Amino acid sequence: MKFDKPITRRESIRRLLRWSGCVTLAGTVQWPSFTVPDVWATTAQKGFIIEGRGQTDGFSVKELTKKVFGAAGGIQRFVSRGDVVAIKPNISWARQPRFAATTNPDVLSAVIELCQEAGASRVRIADNTIHDARRCFALTGAGKVAKETGADLVYPRSSLMKKMKLRGNRLDVWPVFIPFVEADKVINLPVAKHHSLSTLTLGMKNWIGGVGGSRWSLHQDIHQSIVDLAQFFKPEVTLIDAIRIITQNGPSGGSTDDVTFKNTLILSNDPVAADARASMLFGLKPESIGFIHLAQKSGLGTYDFSKLENEKVIV
Amino acid sequence: MKVRHLVWLRRIIQTFFLCLFLFLLVESRLSQDIYVDYSIAFSTDDDIRLDQPVTFFFKLDPLIGLTSLLSGHRLIPGFLWGFGVLLITLFFGRVFCGFICPFGTIHHVVGAVRPALKGDRMIRANQKTPEQKIKYFFLVFLLIGAIVGLNLSGLMDPITLLFRSMALAVLPGLGAGLRSIFDAMANSDIKVLNLISYSAEVLLSPVFGYNVQAYQTAWFIGLVFLIIVFLNRIRPRFWCRVLCPLGALMGIFSRTSLLKLKKYPERCTNCNLCIKHCQGAASPHPDQVWEAAECIACFNCHNICPEEALAFGFTLNPKLNRKPDIGRRAFLGSMLAGLSVPFLGRLDGRVDKVADPRLIRPPGSVPEKDFLKLCQRCGLCMKVCPTNALNPTLGEAGMAGFWTPHLIMTQGYCEYTCTLCGSVCPTGAIANITARDKIERPIKIGSVYVYRGRCLPWSGNTPCIVCEEVCPTSPKAIYLKKETVSGPGGKKLAVQLPFVDLKQCVGCGICENKCPVKGLPAIRTISAGESRSLKNQILLL
Repeated sequence: MKFDKPITRRESIRRLLRWSGCVTLAGTVQWPSFTVPDVWATTAQKGFIIEGRGQTDGFSVKELTKKVFGAAGGIQRFVSRGDVVAIKPNISWARQPRFAATTNPDVLSAVIELCQEAGASRVRIADNTIHDARRCFALTGAGKVAKETGADLVYPRSSLMKKMKLRGNRLDVWPVFIPFVEADKVINLPVAKHHSLSTLTLGMKNWIGGVGGSRWSLHQDIHQSIVDLAQFFKPEVTLIDAIRIITQNGPSGGSTDDVTFKNTLILSNDPVAADARASMLFGLKPESIGFIHLAQKSGLGTYDFSKLENEKVIV
Repeated sequence: MKVRHLVWLRRIIQTFFLCLFLFLLVESRLSQDIYVDYSIAFSTDDDIRLDQPVTFFFKLDPLIGLTSLLSGHRLIPGFLWGFGVLLITLFFGRVFCGFICPFGTIHHVVGAVRPALKGDRMIRANQKTPEQKIKYFFLVFLLIGAIVGLNLSGLMDPITLLFRSMALAVLPGLGAGLRSIFDAMANSDIKVLNLISYSAEVLLSPVFGYNVQAYQTAWFIGLVFLIIVFLNRIRPRFWCRVLCPLGALMGIFSRTSLLKLKKYPERCTNCNLCIKHCQGAASPHPDQVWEAAECIACFNCHNICPEEALAFGFTLNPKLNRKPDIGRRAFLGSMLAGLSVPFLGRLDGRVDKVADPRLIRPPGSVPEKDFLKLCQRCGLCMKVCPTNALNPTLGEAGMAGFWTPHLIMTQGYCEYTCTLCGSVCPTGAIANITARDKIERPIKIGSVYVYRGRCLPWSGNTPCIVCEEVCPTSPKAIYLKKETVSGPGGKKLAVQLPFVDLKQCVGCGICENKCPVKGLPAIRTISAGESRSLKNQILLL
């Protein structure tokens, strides 16, 4: 292009139109976007469930987390060298950790450190939060953890929500928060809480924070929606944080009166078993909770613990 | 120092202050990077605050300090800065206009980079005209209005006007444009385009935020700004010469200025270069009498004069400078206008009779009558609001409250532990409260009611508990009752019906924001029940 001689107004408009036309065309080019491979969960590998409990006063939550993973055969079993790992904590609410509405930051930082020791090339913390994401990252301590460990915080930007085929019973095409699709390995790190519609918020329900769109209408058929999402997102492993749990006023809590200490972590590669075991902490029967029952029926996992390797870790 | 250096010094200082203004403008938001102090996560008493002194220019502006004092009887924090600027004006003239004012710099640049007029026409345009009285008219009008009880100065104050236009119209406009491009690129299936869009977004989002910001009436704010900038085509610095009330205030104070333009008519060859380059239309020509009140001390005339017939210098001569050309009739007229406008503004009864249910003021706002005396309508609270709930009003607050902040819950909501708006308000129209105050007192901004005809469980459509789920208080202000309702076709449907506990409800509006019934949500927020008003209450307190 020549820059030495001035161009006329008409010419400049013509050039502008040409360039903007190119950009527009490039933006509208759409290849068929249904390239997601079959994502139905398979239960080929032997399931396990490990319950870690801190019984001494002032035990280290980090140490408990690491021991629980150690009992499962080390994090190397789930994360390989060079992997991009996406972690899905539940940090939906801009609440301080003592309110138990969000994943315990000590658990989060221990898991990130383990991933980094296993040689993960990148660890990402992502959640499509309910409150403003900046405030959630700040108040829940997730931002502090990210800063200390060097993990990335992924903001729920509109450009990171991509429509995908979920192939669920109820949900067909839905915008998905893509860090969880693009990552090599996904770790689910929910917190156990009370919820007035689904009874409890546990591991499988945590995936409501993995989608965008009008997610508030998922509540109209919450149990089926949870199962559909849990079948789409296939985490390597689920670690339920039940150090502190919310027993009333969930899922947002807001008062320390709503919080009970259970000092427990539940690790499983079977999402249904993990949720089932966590529900027992609330004194509930797993089969009484709609989405756990439904998930076993659709073959996502089992709450028959005798089919799994059971183990206990006590600190 | 040679005058040539002085002119360059002026340009450097102007650039510095314009950049500082833009920097503080961009910094007026909750930071997105993770270098904020995260220790607050583990203590109860600290609130999230901005790192930069984003109100600096508002403190520097004496008109804001003066009108807050006259109408709200309150010395704003940092008022000494504005007082200092007035003191400087007393001795050096309108140097604030020529050196510091970022809006003035924008006009200066627009006028200088591509002058609209050439030769004789420019000389004619730079002669002092009677229209320059208008700014005094505005000043008197705003000051008298402020004394009588309606502070409209923010509509015309240059710092406020510039901040509002940039924060609510220019930046969001640019941001929305860029975001639509990024989203289109991210949605295409070409990998390179995706990568470019992600990296560009990461680079730009510290400035424009990670989601789209939108403001009610922003188009109008932007249009006013564009028109004011466009006026430079008619005459350079049209705004500063004819309209700016802050310039008028400075003009009056520059009467005693010791920095004077000395003229040597015997050396003048009548080349008119001084007039051609005059920024303030202050009659620099040696045959005319220098207008101290119009001169913005840009030193152009001194610099350009080839015969050295003009020179700025300090004179310890106690003689006063030429009187600003206000005009008695205009003065009386503006006084009348200023006296009547506060009463005109209250004719609609918004303040005295009945508050608009949609007028939900930010948490910590002072009572409405005082609010109208203090709010500058600068838009700083709206810029920092992390959920984009704070918007300028159109008619909700009546004519008197045009462009003051209110919350639109379908666009955002008031986050339970967030107190950012009060921490940045330059005049204290929104008190600087803490999250602890907000929760424990509690500070309510309104209340909600369920619109049963639209509510999904109430109308027998589907189960839904979203409003209860997101309610942030403990115990929750929205509680549920298990009930069997009759759905379409008489089918029995087991649902949980939401009820509102008005004692607990703080009016934060997150239920309205997240309600799946779009457009006109099934749970709505109204201002009744706001803590700041004794009258606008539902319950017996």
